[in-house]
Amino acid sequence: MASVTGSSTFTASLSCHKPNQTLTRAANFNAVSLAVNGKSFPSLRLRSAPSRFRVSCAATPETVDKVCNIVRKQLALPEDSAVTGESKFASLGADSLDTVEIVMGLEEEFGISVEEESAQTIATVQDAADLIEKLISKE
Amino acid sequence: MFCTSALSPLQLPSRMETHLWYVLPNEVKSQSLLSQYVDLLSPLEKDHVFSMRGEELQKSALLARALVRTTIARYQIHSRVSPRSLVFRKNAHGKPEVIWEQSDDWHPPPLHFNLSHTSSLIACGVTVGSPIGIDVEEKQRTMKSNILSFAKRYFSCEEVEVLSAISDPEVQRHEFIKLWTLKEAYVKALGTGFSGAPFNTFTIRFGVANPNPEDSAIVIVPLEKPTNLTTNWQFAQVQLAGSHYAAICRQNDGLPGGASMKVIVRKTIPLVEEHCVPSIVPVDD
Repeated sequence: MASVTGSSTFTASLSCHKPNQTLTRAANFNAVSLAVNGKSFPSLRLRSAPSRFRVSCAATPETVDKVCNIVRKQLALPEDSAVTGESKFASLGADSLDTVEIVMGLEEEFGISVEEESAQTIATVQDAADLIEKLISKE
Repeated sequence: MFCTSALSPLQLPSRMETHLWYVLPNEVKSQSLLSQYVDLLSPLEKDHVFSMRGEELQKSALLARALVRTTIARYQIHSRVSPRSLVFRKNAHGKPEVIWEQSDDWHPPPLHFNLSHTSSLIACGVTVGSPIGIDVEEKQRTMKSNILSFAKRYFSCEEVEVLSAISDPEVQRHEFIKLWTLKEAYVKALGTGFSGAPFNTFTIRFGVANPNPEDSAIVIVPLEKPTNLTTNWQFAQVQLAGSHYAAICRQNDGLPGGASMKVIVRKTIPLVEEHCVPSIVPVDD
C-alpha cells in the first residue's frame, strides 16, 4: 500500500508509482527511510566526507552556526530554513562555484586558509566546521 | 525543428565531434514522465535524488540521471543496453564513468561523457576517444563575493590582470563566469578533482583573434615547473537557451592548429523529444 508523509506533490506522485514500497520522509531532511513489505529499514543516512577531521576536534556549536549562516547566505536560503551540521552542501543546491564561494567566505570569517586538498573533502556543514577548528587550533 | 524522433538510435559522435545535450527542468512538468525517470535509476541514484532539499533540487537531480542514462543508451552501443541497465561508477578521483559489460567478442567503444547542471539547465557532453569535461553556468548568475577578490584568491595572476582590465562591471562579471566555466571544464576533463589541478596553477589564455573569432585558440598554460598538467586539450564555448554559458574541454586530436571543435548541440526532453540547436558562440553581450 502506498503512503507518503510530507506535503510535496512530487514525492507523493512518485511513491504512488511504487505500490509495494512506502517512502517516508523523516523529520530530519537528510535521512530517508524506506519500508518494504511492512519491514522498515534503518534510515539511509548520507555519508559525509571521511571523518578524519572529526576524530580529534569536533567543532563548537557556535562555529557550526556561523558556517550555517554563511551557507544560507551563499545559497540565498530563508533564515529559518533547516541547515544543520549534517546538511550536505550539494543537497542544499550548492554547485562547485557556490562551494568555492562558501570556502572563501569561511576563510574571511575565520581568518584561515583552506587548501584545495582540504576543500575537496568538505561535504557537510560539520566537515567545514571541523576543518575550521583544526586550522584555527594550528595557529 | 525535429532532427530525429524520440527514442530512435543515435550515431556515436565521430572522433572529431562533440555532442552536447541539454534539458530545461521547467519544460518537464508531467508527473508521470518524472515517475518514468525514477524507474530508470539505480537504488543509490534514487537515494541521492531524494536526499536533495526540496522539489526543485530533486527534480534537477532526477533529470540529470535521466539525461545521462537515456542519452548514452540511445547510442546503441550494445543491444542489451537500456537506460535502466547502465551501470555507473566513480573513478579514483570521483569522476563518473560507465562500466560496460565485457566479453571476449565485444569491446565497448571509448565513449566518454560529463554532466553539469545548474538549477535551470542540465547538460551532458559526449565524445568518442577523448575524455571530456563540461561546465554550465547561468549568464545572470551573481557572485556573493567581490569578483576580483575571488579571482585573486583562486585564479592565476594573468587571469586577474585580464579581468581587472575590464572596466564595465557587467562585462567583467560575464567574462568571469565564462572563465570559470573554462577552468572548471578543464579540471573535469582531467578527472583528477579540484585538488589535482588547483585553479591558480594554470592560466587559460585566449589566442590572438583571427578574422574569424571562432577560431581563436584557447590554450592552457601551466604555471608550475615541473607540472602534472597536460596541455593537449581544446575548448569550445557555447550559449545554451539564451541563458547559459557552457564550456567544453576535450583532447586535441592533433588537428591542424587552431581548428575549432565541432559541437552538435541538441535540446531534449528525455524519452520524449529532441531538437537540434544551432551552436552559438557567445560574443560580448
